[in-house]
Amino acid sequence: MKRSVITRLLGAVTGVAAAALFLSACAADAPGDADSGPIRIGASLPLTGEFSQGGLDTQQGYEVWVELQNEAGGLLGRDVEIIVKDDATNQNTVVTNYNTLIDQDNVDLLLGSQSSLLNIPASSVAERAEMVFVCPSCGSPDMYNRGYEFIFFSQQAVATDQAKVFAEWVAALPEDQRPKTAAYPSLDDPFAGPVVEGAEAILSAAGIETVYKDVYPATTKNFDSIVNTIKEADADIIVQGAQYEDGVNFVRSLLRAGFSPEILYQSSSPTYGQQYVEGVGAENAEGVFFSSSYHVAADTPGNDEFVAKYTEMFGGEPPEDAADGFAAATVLAAAVEEVGSLEDQRALADWIRANEVPTILGTLSWNADGSPKGDFLVGQWQSGVSQVVLPTDAATTDTILRWKSPAF
Amino acid sequence: MIPLLQTLILGLLIGAVYALMASGLTLIFGVMRVINLAHGALAIFAAFLTYTLWSSWGWDPLLAIPLLVVVMFGIGWLLYVTVIKRVRGQHVSMTVLATFGIALVLEGVMGFIWGNTSHSVRTPYTDTSVVFGPFYAPTALLIAAGVAVVVLGVLALVLNRTWLGRAIRAASVNENGALLVGVSVATVAAATFAIGIATLAASGAMISTIYPFLPGSHYQWIARLLAIVVLGGLGSLPGAVVGALVIGVTELLATAYIGAAWPIAVPFIIIFLVLLVRPQGLLGTRLREDAVA
Repeated sequence: MKRSVITRLLGAVTGVAAAALFLSACAADAPGDADSGPIRIGASLPLTGEFSQGGLDTQQGYEVWVELQNEAGGLLGRDVEIIVKDDATNQNTVVTNYNTLIDQDNVDLLLGSQSSLLNIPASSVAERAEMVFVCPSCGSPDMYNRGYEFIFFSQQAVATDQAKVFAEWVAALPEDQRPKTAAYPSLDDPFAGPVVEGAEAILSAAGIETVYKDVYPATTKNFDSIVNTIKEADADIIVQGAQYEDGVNFVRSLLRAGFSPEILYQSSSPTYGQQYVEGVGAENAEGVFFSSSYHVAADTPGNDEFVAKYTEMFGGEPPEDAADGFAAATVLAAAVEEVGSLEDQRALADWIRANEVPTILGTLSWNADGSPKGDFLVGQWQSGVSQVVLPTDAATTDTILRWKSPAF
Repeated sequence: MIPLLQTLILGLLIGAVYALMASGLTLIFGVMRVINLAHGALAIFAAFLTYTLWSSWGWDPLLAIPLLVVVMFGIGWLLYVTVIKRVRGQHVSMTVLATFGIALVLEGVMGFIWGNTSHSVRTPYTDTSVVFGPFYAPTALLIAAGVAVVVLGVLALVLNRTWLGRAIRAASVNENGALLVGVSVATVAAATFAIGIATLAASGAMISTIYPFLPGSHYQWIARLLAIVVLGGLGSLPGAVVGALVIGVTELLATAYIGAAWPIAVPFIIIFLVLLVRPQGLLGTRLREDAVA
């Protein structure tokens, strides 16, 4: 570790010098030959800033897809290359990046950014340029109420339906096991909020009383006060609309307050794999529910190859965002191969809207507005392993746990 | 009544952590009139160093503090000699720009070395609490508050009981006067900047055990720290402590009794009201040039 840090430090100095030389040597990045060079795909991702965790994972998914696609002969017989720009989790920068990718880098195709927060403004740029925009992480309903024709979400469902399978399972629990009271803390985010809204609608209809509901800003670091209020309200179930850090901080506050609701659901945070487990501790991740688009052991087309290549390139098991990035690229590639051309982007959009695409997340299909038609998997951390617990036909285990407590 | 008291306990403990982080910032401004926008980034840098010591060699963050103090003091001195010294005394916008530049470079360096992913330091006391009656106090926050008391106490001793401290205070009150009585203001300024940065050793070590962090986390911290020192009075160490406690308590009270969206707005409303009545902050000193202006 020590050597690695020093090596990186020296690398940083060398890198800055090399970059200075490079910049002085070339004025601009010239696009390749329009028909014979590689197909250039542009994307902007939050490689730094608050959403960098998911952005970096998505970038890995894109890179794995490029490797496998080129090994298989490329796209339309041409190699593919991906240009990724860092938007620093900034809505203004993501717009600038996509404008640059389209107008200056002259990319042939686009892939989406990470998070609805960034994809909402980014997709407007793509729509204006009439370029297909398949995004791996854009589940907010606000993405699909604007009448856009080129935007597609490459997961199974939008945010309002993300917790649907989970909430319906809770609502159907036997009377003596069903929670009586619920708390809904949520990040002020176009994705996290609707997840919680969707779950509350189902749980309230089942007679589960809402005893706490509030939205906190992205800058919230300390959750002790929120948890203290929920503890006072004695909620049996907590459904949190969380990104990453806020999910970890929330669990830590629950532990510090000595408060353990029977059921704990967090929307995105637990899908960050080992990062999440290291953040909250394996014993505290035990029994946390989440909705997931992907499972590493899924018997889906190309998943074995994806997992093997990911492990070869980056080590370890692929996190969900990497799989989502891979699936987005798969959808785009399927459209290009079937249409047989890059030029007519409207034809690409029409093809995606009219067809199903087998991906490592399962077979995806879309409504006219670009939102997907399917259902999410419900995952749960069990003994340090992410298991699929619902729906039962896709479950990797029969056991469903309470949070840090015995099974149902 | 119990929920209110519990919220106050938590708010005071968090305020103590804020005070620890803000002390160096206000010290540097008090002596040098430099608004150090790199303060948050340097705290996160100390947190990453803590992470490396913990993950590679199993060092407890508390044990790492003495070594980190030496390292951060050295970094502070180096930054002063290479950057701050050259912009000090110029228009305030130059120092703001220079220190913001340091923050951005540091963010890039941290991203390169440790990656732009979230990191956590989990100690046996990270998730535990001390329970007394119906109340609880998170152990990590209690320890952090204890460290804050020790660090602030040492700072107060140095400022009030040592020659260096008297020189720092003299330079702070009247730089030309200090020069006249033989104080090497340049050396005092370098030492002050380095001491201010060294206080971040304890801050970084402590926040690494309480919150996950990544290179970009410094933006949230610097915004909060600037609010604290402005409320307390720029340059006033006791003011920073009072300001930090006020912000810590109001953040949590606002969350509990107004709504989770309000912990940023309410403290700023209080700052606005305080500055209307006392433009120099709660415990700040009104300078002669302020009066003229």
